[in-house]
Amino acid sequence: MGKSKILSLILRNLIRKPATIQYPREKPWVESDFRGRQYSDLQKCIGCGLCRIECPADAIVMKKIPDEYEVPKKNARRLFPVIDYMKCVYCYRCVTVCPVRAFITTNYFELADPQHITSEELSLSTLRKKAGGEASK
Amino acid sequence: MIEKIDELVNEGLLKEAGIIKPNRKLYEFNHERIREIFKQLLERLGEKGFYLATIVGTDMLKDKKIRLDYYVVVLPEEITIVLRTYVDRDNPEINSILDLIPAALAPECEIYDLLGVVFKGNPALRRPFFVPEELVEKGIYPLRKDARV
Amino acid sequence: MQGCRAVAIDKVIEVPYALEIPVGPQHPALHEPLLLKAYADGEEVIKVEVHTGYNHRGIEKLAEKNSFYRDIFIVSRVCGICNGVHANCYVRAVEQILGIEPSPRAKYLRVLAMELERIHSHMLINAVMAEIIGFDSLFMNIMRDREYIMKSKEIVTGNRVSADYMIFGGVRRDLNSEKVDKLKKLLDRVIPRIKYYKKLFMEDETILKRLVDVGVVKPSEATLYGLLGPAARASGIKIDVRASDKYDAYGEIPFNVIVRNECDAWARMMVRWDEALESAEMVKYILDHLPQDEKAVPDERRLPRRFPPGEAYARVEAPRGELIYYVMSDGKPMPYRVKIRTPSVHNILNTAKFYIGYSIADLPVILTSWDPCISCMERLTIIDLKTGERRKVPMKELAGGGKKWVNPRYSL
Repeated sequence: MGKSKILSLILRNLIRKPATIQYPREKPWVESDFRGRQYSDLQKCIGCGLCRIECPADAIVMKKIPDEYEVPKKNARRLFPVIDYMKCVYCYRCVTVCPVRAFITTNYFELADPQHITSEELSLSTLRKKAGGEASK
Repeated sequence: MIEKIDELVNEGLLKEAGIIKPNRKLYEFNHERIREIFKQLLERLGEKGFYLATIVGTDMLKDKKIRLDYYVVVLPEEITIVLRTYVDRDNPEINSILDLIPAALAPECEIYDLLGVVFKGNPALRRPFFVPEELVEKGIYPLRKDARV
Repeated sequence: MQGCRAVAIDKVIEVPYALEIPVGPQHPALHEPLLLKAYADGEEVIKVEVHTGYNHRGIEKLAEKNSFYRDIFIVSRVCGICNGVHANCYVRAVEQILGIEPSPRAKYLRVLAMELERIHSHMLINAVMAEIIGFDSLFMNIMRDREYIMKSKEIVTGNRVSADYMIFGGVRRDLNSEKVDKLKKLLDRVIPRIKYYKKLFMEDETILKRLVDVGVVKPSEATLYGLLGPAARASGIKIDVRASDKYDAYGEIPFNVIVRNECDAWARMMVRWDEALESAEMVKYILDHLPQDEKAVPDERRLPRRFPPGEAYARVEAPRGELIYYVMSDGKPMPYRVKIRTPSVHNILNTAKFYIGYSIADLPVILTSWDPCISCMERLTIIDLKTGERRKVPMKELAGGGKKWVNPRYSL
């Protein structure tokens, strides 16, 4: 009795198209508010370092912003959080605890990416370089 | 079944000592009478009348004591009560209740390994259980407050 | 030239009567590191030792060394499958110390996340059971339909597995009507599938032959050995923290506590199917009756930073049984003591007795029927049921083995 039931299910599965997604040719569909890669928007960041203190995985270090970038005045110490994506557990504690809501969240989930091991590059791309920075070199 | 606990209180085996949030009644007892208490529990509540949820061992460094909390769930109402006792921190020893309640095996082994409380009469106690070998050689009990791990 | 020389027999090779079979820590039947040392007489298991400690991470000490807030995310990494209930239990314990209470909407949302977790956990272990008894096509099908629940979890919490959904005083993200509709659609798809699989587990001969009357646990043994969750409920012990503690919104949501009296591995799996169905109904109820007005998501920047001294003991019904967190605060920003007691500690370590008398092939079946979660167990190690003496038995007696009898001398 049970046998015939599962047999018919298996036969139906044979003619169905596969249930698996053919990644990377086909991308899985993720929600728009999926907790993916996040980085800080340095236009808003004040460099307080609360995210570093609160990070449960110790994935955040505060770094000095290089001299060639224009930094908003409120970030007097010129610090910014760099997230190590290899350590990050994507709990978004840094996002929710930030006093100025400076984090940009994305639903980007393909994290095995040699380009962005830390959030340094992404964060710095939110800043403009100083006008004279290139010329003085 | 919970009124059976009150009988034990009246007989002086247990002493009421407030509550642990939320609403878990706390009883204190002398650690030498532990087997007596659990024998009484088995007798009065029956094998199906309660189960031992866990034993929580806490190192009270300031008082030089190790606190042992036996959490017992009384069935069928599923009321959790706490039986609390203290043992000496320098010479932590208490009788094992493994032969009365097999469920005590996991917590007793754990507390022996982490806090160094010796459960007399438990044949399964052994170090290292899970603590790395080098810590065992140094005689470190990781959950003691003065242990550096 | 040494010819054949007659040698007087001065040594007899003793054949150990019991064959020692290590099952794990790397074994096709086990998905997690655990070593079951089984001693077998022919096909029959006579003694099992459970060796663990392959996965110890020292979470309790780690929690003492981190702040209350960081601990929320640390304890939800105790276990992948049931991370939501771990976080919920810890958060509720600390809420007791703080004396704050979440809004009704947040309570409903917490239950929603935890019930979704229960459904996918029960589907997973039933799928694993199907795989272990060699029914791989069923395994594939259950896992495919489990994806609907994973998707629902993603919609609710923001991630398929690690929910990170709980915070003191509420939850970390809210639902809107669009998401509710999506969830309802997914649920309507998955409920008929669960019903179908349940029927299959009731009728299919392969499953019945492997599971029925295997790993019997008597009701009195269930309490003595401290079995929890579906393992106890399948032995007729009606324990369910959801019903007795009525934490969060469980007091307002109707549900039945599933109890079976068959006491075997099959009953444990059936309890899980029934509970999955029950949970699906609860999720439906929550989606229909979600309180509308309150604010469920607290502003994490304004949550209290100071923790008064106190102690709290929270219980929660994890998919595998009663999960316990004991949190003690002494007024510092870090907890003085965090004690975690997961259901798997009891369900794996205390059950070495229940393998005895069954065949080696039943061993993975019985183990799976406890729904073992090694990462939950994480801290303990060795069970030694009796002294490890090994009996020597003459060959004659060995040759007589193979019959299905239990010698009372060797039963423990």
